[in-house]
Amino acid sequence: MARKSREIDRDGFCLGIQPIGEIDPGYLKILAGSFLGELGIRTLILPGLAQPDYAFDSRRIQYDAGIIITRLEAMEFKGCRCVIALMDADLFIPVFSFVLGEARMGGDHALVSIFRLQGNRSGIVKVALHEFGHLMGLDHCHEDTCVMKFSKNVEQLDSISSMFCNYCLDQIRYGIRKKPERP
Amino acid sequence: MNQNMKILIVDDELVVRESLYHWFSREGYETGTAENGNEALQKLSKENFDTLFVDMKMPGMGGFELLETVKKLYPDTAVVIITAYGSIDSAVQAIKIGASDYLLKPFKPDQLSLVMEKISQQLKLTSEYKYLKGQMDKISRFDNIIGQSDPMKKIYSVIEEVAKTDAPILILGETGTGKELIAKAIHVKSLRNNLPFVALNCGAFPDSLLEAELFGYAKGAFTGAAHSRKGFFEVVSGGTLFLDEIGEISRKMQVDLLRVLQEKKITRLGDTHPIDVNFRLLSATRQDLQTKIQEGHFRSDFFYRINIISIEIPPLRERKEDIPLLVYHFLEKYSQETTKKIDSVDKTTLDHLKAYPWPGNVRELENAVERAVVLSKSRTLTLKDFDFLKLAPDLSPPSYETLSLQDMEKRHIETVLRNNDWNISRSADILGVSRATLHRMINRHGTEKP
Repeated sequence: MARKSREIDRDGFCLGIQPIGEIDPGYLKILAGSFLGELGIRTLILPGLAQPDYAFDSRRIQYDAGIIITRLEAMEFKGCRCVIALMDADLFIPVFSFVLGEARMGGDHALVSIFRLQGNRSGIVKVALHEFGHLMGLDHCHEDTCVMKFSKNVEQLDSISSMFCNYCLDQIRYGIRKKPERP
Repeated sequence: MNQNMKILIVDDELVVRESLYHWFSREGYETGTAENGNEALQKLSKENFDTLFVDMKMPGMGGFELLETVKKLYPDTAVVIITAYGSIDSAVQAIKIGASDYLLKPFKPDQLSLVMEKISQQLKLTSEYKYLKGQMDKISRFDNIIGQSDPMKKIYSVIEEVAKTDAPILILGETGTGKELIAKAIHVKSLRNNLPFVALNCGAFPDSLLEAELFGYAKGAFTGAAHSRKGFFEVVSGGTLFLDEIGEISRKMQVDLLRVLQEKKITRLGDTHPIDVNFRLLSATRQDLQTKIQEGHFRSDFFYRINIISIEIPPLRERKEDIPLLVYHFLEKYSQETTKKIDSVDKTTLDHLKAYPWPGNVRELENAVERAVVLSKSRTLTLKDFDFLKLAPDLSPPSYETLSLQDMEKRHIETVLRNNDWNISRSADILGVSRATLHRMINRHGTEKP
């Protein structure tokens, strides 16, 4: 099937890429390039934030993704319609032993952990694109060739594509157009 | 949407409910949440959920208690127990009670995926099994006739007795009573059951066409007969011929049929060669043939020939005790066909359905249940779903003159509650009493929420 144009809305939408903790700048650049290449979205690499001790769970030795996202929601990111934060520590949500990324459906802020993806640059890009899809209101996709397919584990993440299927791409376009302005 | 599966998450911790809710929603599952066992049961009574994720430790009704209740009330619903306090004992106990799986919090995302894949397979197999079992039942059950009332039991025993003979049988009954079902049951129980069962509604054909259908015709027998064709007497070849609405056929046709019954030979229209035929005749009518004989419209010799044995099916209004059985039979049939999970009818509604005269008999009841199932939005059919029957005089409430003051009060309270979806505050306002008084009245009258 012919791929649709990646062009979405170069001018009106800016995605913030927010490093948290010690992040290799190379990862940030790759992410920025991927969003531009795959979706035609302009990005802005934001100044780094300190490790979020407030979200650290000493029993699990992990950071609570939900708490971090809530904190990000309370912050202002001037010029950015949505923000994807990149973090070097391991993340969890209460029912799961770990998560590679977390986003609230239709929300404005997503979180990606590179802890279990060290050195796996394409894996980091896939998780970030996937979480961005959730920000645009997308469910998981059942197409094997789509980055919105749910990966059960890191091994499966390697086997999925780093592109959106045509259907999900349309949904992303629609999501960006319809996303209300932040108050 | 993920295989149309609906999931209910039951956990007292908001953060767990939210996490699972988001995960399932992103996977495309339709998801609901409940804070405790009682809320879960309330939701289950209103809508169908395929799978429940239940926390083992909750205040009030615990996870195991909820599991037991759900398995008793909704055995097809899969239940997964989730807990942060796992042990082998509790896992074994959960599986023994009927849990589909047991997950230790926190779990890996792929564990949850595997559980969902397994449950989805289980539910698919269960529904396939049920469908196939239903189909097998349809094929193998001689009865397919629903009814445990005394008159129906008598009919079953007559069918058993006469099926093995070759005697013609006349089945009598009002429209919609299931005359063809009885005929099929006789055929299935007969020695001819591996041969065709051919049914023909005599009332649906004009005389000349009926003759051609029954006797067949030779090429050129009449304009348009480009090829010779076998009639039903030949097609049935050793099986059972069921002639419905036999009272509608003309006197000439009665003579022709009488001859066939006596000689076991027919001659195709436009042909001269007699052909041997072998069949058993079952016929049915809703008319009073004795009166037709007296009026000269029906031949008595033909009547005696087809009426060696007669079976009279009582109208539905004379076997009201069968109505609940029939209602549940059709409910199952149409909830399967429409894939709507409707599995009960409230008691008041059943009482009203029993009181209705059903002039169209079982067929009318079947159509009413089908319509109610198609239009209903809840898991239980209520009077509202049978609104269209209210025009019938017997379904409307009895005259107030015959009710005692207490009965009238009870009826009025029930009506107000029903019209307000059992909202106590709203109903109490309308009745002009306090909520506490209304509760007392409900208890005093033994009124039950459907």
